[in-house]
Amino acid sequence: MQSEQIRAAKAEPAAPKRAAKWQSPLAYLRRLQSATGLIGLIILAAIISPRANDGSVVFFQVGNITDIIRQVSEIGIIALGMTYVILSGGIDLSVGSTLALSASITAMLLMRWSPGFGFAEHIVLAVAAALGASAAIGFVTGLVISRLNIQPFVVTLATMIGVRGFARWLTSNTNIDFGFGQDVSAVFSNVGSHKPVVIGTLAVLALIFAFVLGRTVFGRYVRAIGDNEKAAAYAGVPIARVKAWVYTLCGLLAGLAGVIHAAQCHQGNPNDGVAYELEAIAAVVIGGTSLSGGKGSIGGTILGTLIMGILTNILRLKMVDTNVEFMIKAVIIVLAVWAQSRGKPS
Amino acid sequence: MQLPEEWRVNPLLRVEGVSKRYGGVCALDGVSMEVAPGDVHALIGGNGAGKSTLSKVIAGVVRPDAGRILLDGKPATIRSPLDAQRHGIGIIFQELDLFTSLTVAENVAIRNVHVEKSWLVNSAALDGFCRPFLDQVGFHLPSSTRVEELSIGQMQLVAIARALSMGARLILMDEPTSSLSEDDVDRLFGLIRSLGRNGVSVVYVSHRMQEILRIADRITVLRDGRYVGTRSAADVTPEAIIAMMVGAELAQTVHAASHRTDRVLLTVRNLSSAKLKGISFDVRAGEVLGIAGLVGAGRSELGAALFGLDPTAAGTVSIGGRDNVPPSPREAIARGLGLVPEDRKLQGLMMQMSVKENSTLSILPELAVAGLVDGRQEVSRSAGVLQRMALKAASYDAVVSSLSGGNQQKVLLSRWLLVDPDVLFLDEPTRGIDVSAKEDVYGVIEELARSGKGVILVSSELPELLRCSDRIMVLHEGRVTGMLESSEATQEKIMALATCSAEHANGEPQIAE
Repeated sequence: MQSEQIRAAKAEPAAPKRAAKWQSPLAYLRRLQSATGLIGLIILAAIISPRANDGSVVFFQVGNITDIIRQVSEIGIIALGMTYVILSGGIDLSVGSTLALSASITAMLLMRWSPGFGFAEHIVLAVAAALGASAAIGFVTGLVISRLNIQPFVVTLATMIGVRGFARWLTSNTNIDFGFGQDVSAVFSNVGSHKPVVIGTLAVLALIFAFVLGRTVFGRYVRAIGDNEKAAAYAGVPIARVKAWVYTLCGLLAGLAGVIHAAQCHQGNPNDGVAYELEAIAAVVIGGTSLSGGKGSIGGTILGTLIMGILTNILRLKMVDTNVEFMIKAVIIVLAVWAQSRGKPS
Repeated sequence: MQLPEEWRVNPLLRVEGVSKRYGGVCALDGVSMEVAPGDVHALIGGNGAGKSTLSKVIAGVVRPDAGRILLDGKPATIRSPLDAQRHGIGIIFQELDLFTSLTVAENVAIRNVHVEKSWLVNSAALDGFCRPFLDQVGFHLPSSTRVEELSIGQMQLVAIARALSMGARLILMDEPTSSLSEDDVDRLFGLIRSLGRNGVSVVYVSHRMQEILRIADRITVLRDGRYVGTRSAADVTPEAIIAMMVGAELAQTVHAASHRTDRVLLTVRNLSSAKLKGISFDVRAGEVLGIAGLVGAGRSELGAALFGLDPTAAGTVSIGGRDNVPPSPREAIARGLGLVPEDRKLQGLMMQMSVKENSTLSILPELAVAGLVDGRQEVSRSAGVLQRMALKAASYDAVVSSLSGGNQQKVLLSRWLLVDPDVLFLDEPTRGIDVSAKEDVYGVIEELARSGKGVILVSSELPELLRCSDRIMVLHEGRVTGMLESSEATQEKIMALATCSAEHANGEPQIAE
């Protein structure tokens, strides 16, 4: 027994003393990497941005800044739901298809359905139907993943293909263009693409999702499952239920992004949203959320979204070829994830 | 230690002063042993004695920190399993490392590239190469049979044939009989003897005392990573070996005052699963029921079955007004069961979450109003229990991975103290933690018992079991082989029941293998 105790005593050095409270500025920057990245990018943008005729920096014009946010809002909204999915240790490849389906449903109901009551009710019903369908897709995806215990990658890959097919079949693979003037679709498109509406939706959703993640039982469960699903099961966390909710929310947000997409594009196109899942995942990952789950934040995802948006913006202001833009983004994604994985115990 | 002269002169394998540390834990501490040509040499010891580490060192899987290995009297550098093979050491792992979708011949010849001069597979040449070895081990099916179609016993023969084909002079077998039928065991033992007659040595690692006495020429006992002694199997008794396994420290452990009452909290009857065979026991209010057994005896599996983690479990588990096996951990918790798992990193803690969040995870709904966690209540509830546990952490918001093992274990225990189940199953709660943290854990066990809870304590450290338990249930290969009152329990009795050596079983149910 005694030898046992000595052995054990050697085995456990005392808990390492926490380093003093002071952190070097470098360490501080490292901790807030995506914020640092964003600031660096803004400075870079200020330097290389073209000047307007009056000498002001084009990048910092209010119109340009709000344009950036509006441009990233669809990806940003999707990325919020994607953050939950990735935090829970999963992935959702189906969001691009869901966006297309949602946009198509919205357009169909606005253009091909004349319910005979007011515009407001008509729009609300059309949007509700699109959101309901999107949430239902997410819910079924979540059920299959948690109950049948199939890898999220495989399940959502199937959903991605299936939902795309469904959207095309539903619309006979045609664009549904919105009308003009006093048409209900034109009214919807005007409201739904209004900058304050688009940016406000993203902002409000980001706040809600950050709050739910940080303060609710559900948010805690999401992180616990992603951190250690086995331990979560031992602790009595209702894993299947939480996962079903996570994918339902992700589907719902993809649907909402689809509604906004339809408004902004003035049409419902069943072929839109291709590769949106990848852009959303990139934003989440650049924001510091670990693909292995458990670690990450909504704030990071918003930063990641803005980084991608600003990058696109300055490259386009500089008239950089779109294909070159893709290559630069590829490098940025790898660099961001590499920088965040450095110096951390695996 | 007296060794036969001819053996001392001519050992095939000689291990000298081998030590190995894992982090701070000393798995092997200056272990020496010798194996003569043709010797069947058993390696035995309790949990954590160092048997498997020593086998891994010999097999080249683990590199020792100190000491050396001599073959035929010459120092041999064994840096990898491949090196070991070159030196004529073959290993038969418990989990056979055969390629199940390849044929028997392909498996036997897998590393003998010289069989095939051309890159086309010539099955006749393969068979010609394998047949003598397959005949030697008594494997008579066509060598073109796929391994996945074989029984475990046949696979083992193939693995041995492969070792022989690589020129093995020493074959190391780790628990080779654990999943064999009695016929297969007989066949294997016949083969081991014939190997011995042909000058091939066998190092036989096992828990099963009777098998060891039946097959081994010599028996080496390890304890706590140290060499205890080597005996000739012909003139040793099971009692003597158990005494060596347990050690001379017979100082009576002070048993904690009993708080046992007559009120039964948990009744288990005929609980069976893939790894459990008809387990029955009761846990009373205020009782600490110790569970002893060697690795693989089914101790953790019992916890998993009780806690709804094993869908194959069937039987009666009466607690919280229900009599069936809980279908899920959630249901088990609802009925008043708790489980502190063996592996706190894998099954217990969320390493990236904070101390506070880890401690309150299982009572979050209690702390929430309309799904919203009440931060103040969470802080006060977790701080209360964490202070009682004397948890040392920079702050309760510190990430759990920054804590020492003992403090991590305290966080996990805190989670269950907050849940406050009627019966708490503790699986190796003091493994890998320091002495003072161990005392704190014993304090928690004592406190739970005093407050009328039931505790099931699984431990590989017998003094710990003797100290904390009111009764000790001994498991061997999924069965209960004994139930000892703490007053009558000794390390020797427990070890005898755990290794299932007949003389010590005192009329308790015997294992009919």
